Formats: sequence, C-alpha cells, structure tokens
Amino acid sequence: MSAHDYLIEWRGPRAVVRMPAEIDVTNADQARAALLAATGQRPAVLIIDMSETTFCDSAGVAAIVVSYRQAAGTGTQFRLVTTKVERILQLTGIAELMPIDASLDAALAATEG
Amino acid sequence: MMQSDQGSLEDRLRDIQSVTDAALSQLSDQEMLAELLERTRSILRADTAAVLLLDSPSGQLIATAAAGLEEEVRQGVRVPVGRGFAGRIAAERKPVILDHVDHTTVLNPILWAKGIRTLMGVPLIAGTRVIGVLHVGSLTPREFSTEDVELLQLAADKAASAVQSLTGLEDRIAAVALQRSLLPSALPLTGDAQLAARYVPGEGSVGGDWYDVFTLPSGELGVVMGDVTGSGLAAAVIMGRMRSALRAYALESSDPADVLARLDAKMQHFEPGALATVSYAVFSPALDRMRICLAGHYPPVIATPGQPGTLAEIPPGLLIGAAPDASRRVTTITVSPGMILCFYTDGLVERRRVPIEDRLALLCRAVRAVPPETACAAIMAELVGAEQPRDDIALVALRRKPTDREP
Repeated sequence: MSAHDYLIEWRGPRAVVRMPAEIDVTNADQARAALLAATGQRPAVLIIDMSETTFCDSAGVAAIVVSYRQAAGTGTQFRLVTTKVERILQLTGIAELMPIDASLDAALAATEG
Repeated sequence: MMQSDQGSLEDRLRDIQSVTDAALSQLSDQEMLAELLERTRSILRADTAAVLLLDSPSGQLIATAAAGLEEEVRQGVRVPVGRGFAGRIAAERKPVILDHVDHTTVLNPILWAKGIRTLMGVPLIAGTRVIGVLHVGSLTPREFSTEDVELLQLAADKAASAVQSLTGLEDRIAAVALQRSLLPSALPLTGDAQLAARYVPGEGSVGGDWYDVFTLPSGELGVVMGDVTGSGLAAAVIMGRMRSALRAYALESSDPADVLARLDAKMQHFEPGALATVSYAVFSPALDRMRICLAGHYPPVIATPGQPGTLAEIPPGLLIGAAPDASRRVTTITVSPGMILCFYTDGLVERRRVPIEDRLALLCRAVRAVPPETACAAIMAELVGAEQPRDDIALVALRRKPTDREP
C-alpha cells in the first residue's frame, strides 16, 4: 500500500478529507490522525471523501467513529462520500451517524450555504 | 579514570563487546536485564546501576531492576517524568550527569541517603518513545567522560529492546490467559439447542473478541458475540468488563435492545475511549424464536435444511461507544426445526483487499444446516483454511434440533 497524502481541502467552512484506496489495520491510524486533525479545526462540515476507497474494514470504520465522537458537541456536521464501501458502513451503523452521498459534488451541493 | 582517553582501544572494544554481547540475548529478558546492569556497573566502575521504566498511565518512572541499589526496586520507587534526576532524563530525552547529589537535584532519597556523589543517566528509547531511564552512580566523586556516556547509551539501547520484548510477551501471555478464562469452557446444553464454537487468536497480538452463551432464569438462552476495537491486553481487559456487564444487564432485562442500550451507557461513562461491536440474541425456551439486537456487528448467517445460508435481515445499529443514546431495535426471527444460526466476528470475514460482499457470500455458501460441529469445521475450512489469521476469529453455531424424521 503506497503512502497517501491526507490533505484537508477547504471549501469555505467545509473541510474535505480524501481517504486512500484501501483502509485497514495497517494504515487506519493515519486515517484517524488525519480526520482528527480536520475535526480539530472545527469545520462547519467535514466531508470524508471515500470516493476512491475500494476497501475498508473495521479498523477504518473505527477511525471514522473516533473522529465523529471527538467532534461531538462542536457542531461539526459529518458527511461521507462513497459508492464502493457503503455495505460495511451500513452494517456497522455508520450510516446512522452521517448522510452518505454518492459523489463529492452531491455532498457539496447538499451543504451549500 | 584520568587516563581513560588512551586507556587502550582494546579495553574500550572489550567494554562495548561486554554490553552488546550476543550471548546476552540467549538469556531470558529478565535475566538479561540483570546481567546487563551488572556488566554496565562493572565496566563503568560504578557502584550502582538501575533501570526505571515508564508507566504511561501515571506518567511515573518505576524502579524495575537494579545492581548495588536493590532497595530502589524493593521499595517501589516512583519518580514523575520531568522531576528529579531520572524524571529530567525522560523528559529531555538526553543524557544527564549530576555531580551534586542531594535533595535539590534528586527526588529519590535512597540515592543521596546511600551517599552517591555522582550520577549519570540516559534514556531508554524504543522507536521514538522514551520507555525508561538507565542510570549509574558512584559513591566517590568522579568525572564521567563522553565515552562513558556512549557506553551507557549502548547498554540502554540493549536494555530497551529487552524490555520491549519482555512487556510484549507479558502482555500477550496475560491477554491470552484472560481471553481463555472468559470464554465459556463448556457450552450450556439446553433441550433442543445444539451448539459449537471456535475461537482462534490472531497473529501477533490477541484482540478483544469474545462470545458468550448462557441460560437465563426464564429458561431463555442468551448468545453474545462481541469485538472490542484494538488489540492486546488493553482490549482484552475491556472485553472482560463488557462481558460481565452484559451478563448483569441480561439478568435485569429480557429485551436485547434494552440490554445493549444499558451496556452502551455504561461503556460511555466508565470506558469513554472504548469502541466495540456486539450482537446479542435471546432464544425462547422452546428455541422457536430469536430476538436479536445488533450494535455495529455483522448479522448472523442462517440456513434451513437443504437450503444455502443467507445473511439475516436485521437492521444495523451503531457500535457501542460511538454516540450517546443510539437507537436500538429488536428483530424477531422464527427459528424452525433443524435451522442453524452462525454468529461470528469480523476476523472470519474480513480479508485485505477482498470486498466484504464477496467474503460474506463465501460464508453464506459455507453455512449448512448440519450438526453445529460439522458446520463450524466446514466454515473454518472454507474461510480460513491454512492461513494464519491476522485478526481474532470467533464463531458460534447454534442449531435447533431437527424433528425426528430429519437427520
């Protein structure tokens, strides 16, 4: 698995964090750190962009939940973009925590203004 | 000491050899640490040598091994990081030499009460973390040279790797022992229920998987499958607490959603960092009905005689520990004679780079409504085979006894 640059891309008050192609126990710590770095800046909306992610296991799910829990009470809204790993997000209940969009554009459109 | 500069290259090489000696590695880690301290004390012509290890939760250094200063270990000396001589070494992550030892510079009274005049200490570093401090002391005033510091650091590096493998081993042994003690040694035999289970610890470190099967005073049968995020002793300890709490709530409430809601509230209050998935099912005494609630856990695979397995359609619920007041729902499933239900943890179905859908489909094909031991064997053969699993695997198969006509 090659290294992945976690950049926080700002769209106004919305932060977009792009996730790598595969997230599992070997790299979930970096994913968690990147998400925590983003929530630490208190964006109005955090969009977890998993549009390039084709594989995510429980360790990846835990990284998402930890950042969500960290942001509790700060007002940050979470959205998640995925088509390929939606099943595990449904099975683990993540889909109950945050809306899931099929594309980044859709997530951005849904959080306009 | 005065002539140590030219003391001789041979002496110096012998000293280095003494602390990096390959033969040291053949000792057990505990013996190796003791021998290393003895050699360090001897080659540096010091009177005392001691290792203090960092206890992360308390932020204190704890005296763990000593030569010529055994009382430090026996009295359980503790020094906060950042304070005193050892605390300063750990905080600054660099060697410190003290030629003035009294209560203003050294926190531990044993050192100055013993009459130590000069102290030299270096950090024990594993990877990028400080894990402790190694120091030597002299009862007579002396100057430690740069070479002395280097030798001590060499010994500290050797000690750090011994300590790491020692704690890693201890944690693993403790985690395995804890896990073993918590898994049911015998599955309860209740009328029409036939049960079988498998538990395989993952490679490297044991995780927080557990399963539990118990009868309730009502005559109902509870089946739990859970997985605490993380691994090693820490996850195993949390798993043990969750298992006990769930059992207690199971006695108080017959509603699986209520039991998991209470468990969630308890965990969020007392173990705020923990995250876990749990499946909790309650079977009626006649075994004709299962009420189940999922908290972020994969649903069971169900098969009826002559049919392939299917993933039970159960609404997912949020993981335990994720957010306050998650809604919890109960799903009721009718259990027919001969039907088998398989509960499992993610280690059985998740494999790197293989889509989860494919693995779940493979599991469904492997589940057959046959006697549970046979079913478990077939599932493990199909999904694990000869591979060494990276993650823990837990599997429980429960079959309702077929009517007499069926096999």
